[in-house]
Amino acid sequence: MSDSLILSEDQRDCLQEVCNVAMGQAGDSLARLFNVFITLTVPNIRLVEAKAIHGELSTMIDAPTVSAVRQAFYTTKGNQGLCGESIVIFSEASFHEIAEMMAYDRADLGSTAEQELLLDISNVLNGACLNGIAVQLEEALSYSPPALIGQHIPVERILDREQLVWDQALSIKIGYSIENKAFQCDMLLFMPGVSLSHLLGILDMLLDDF
Amino acid sequence: MSIPLLICDDSNMARKQVRRALPEDWDIDVTLATNGEEAMEAIRAGKAEMLFLDLTMPVMDGYQVLEAIQREGHKTMTIVISADIQPEAQARVMKLKALDFIKKPVDKSKLTEVLTKYGLI
Repeated sequence: MSDSLILSEDQRDCLQEVCNVAMGQAGDSLARLFNVFITLTVPNIRLVEAKAIHGELSTMIDAPTVSAVRQAFYTTKGNQGLCGESIVIFSEASFHEIAEMMAYDRADLGSTAEQELLLDISNVLNGACLNGIAVQLEEALSYSPPALIGQHIPVERILDREQLVWDQALSIKIGYSIENKAFQCDMLLFMPGVSLSHLLGILDMLLDDF
Repeated sequence: MSIPLLICDDSNMARKQVRRALPEDWDIDVTLATNGEEAMEAIRAGKAEMLFLDLTMPVMDGYQVLEAIQREGHKTMTIVISADIQPEAQARVMKLKALDFIKKPVDKSKLTEVLTKYGLI
């Protein structure tokens, strides 16, 4: 299915720019946390189908094994609003880099310490990025607490196809890498079909302002 | 004579936002570019005495444009308008001889303030 059946070119452009601004805010937060320069790339928006999700994941994330944290977001204005899930995905090589930046001894970075780091970084990225999107869309969002999906798992295991509550979703990939380090972390936002008409309505309102 | 002014951003909405934020009575001749390569073509064609430049773009990004402007010796005055608000990003563009940095989404009063500061309006 073509994405253009769902999103007009203007709507896609508008959403991409909204994500771009939010990504910039999240990148700045991460840069301050680690005192490094974060390299940002243009956010990638796609329509994905639940039945093809595993193929999509391995296309979007170029790492054999990853660690990932999920966090749901939903509008506080009843059940008609925006909702979705953010998954922050860390590529395997990242841990040694993170440990170095946080001045941990590599040997000390056990599974628990690693979990804390993953949750902390996800919190920083989600807080800044989702909040940045919410502010621009003039939506009040609530968030579930971040939950660890798994550590050092194959990328296909991030999402269980059987447990997905949607058939189709809009996915937005926002990548953060640290200059001169093997650190790559990608945020995947999934907004299910039911949330899309609401999102498109907001984008149209933004576009009407121009 | 109108000032040749170039707006370079991969987002149509962002280009419109910049255009909207420009002073209404400013005598300018606006050209639009959607990536750095298009921007360089316009600059070489003399269409950019002033440039409003995004950083994160496909094909050729804003840093590369600033480098190319220096390398080719163009007199273009560049104001970077970017969502990348890391202090280091600002330091880098200033080092690459950008005139100033404005964070996205661009705001009319901020843009007017910057243009006034450099005596451009």
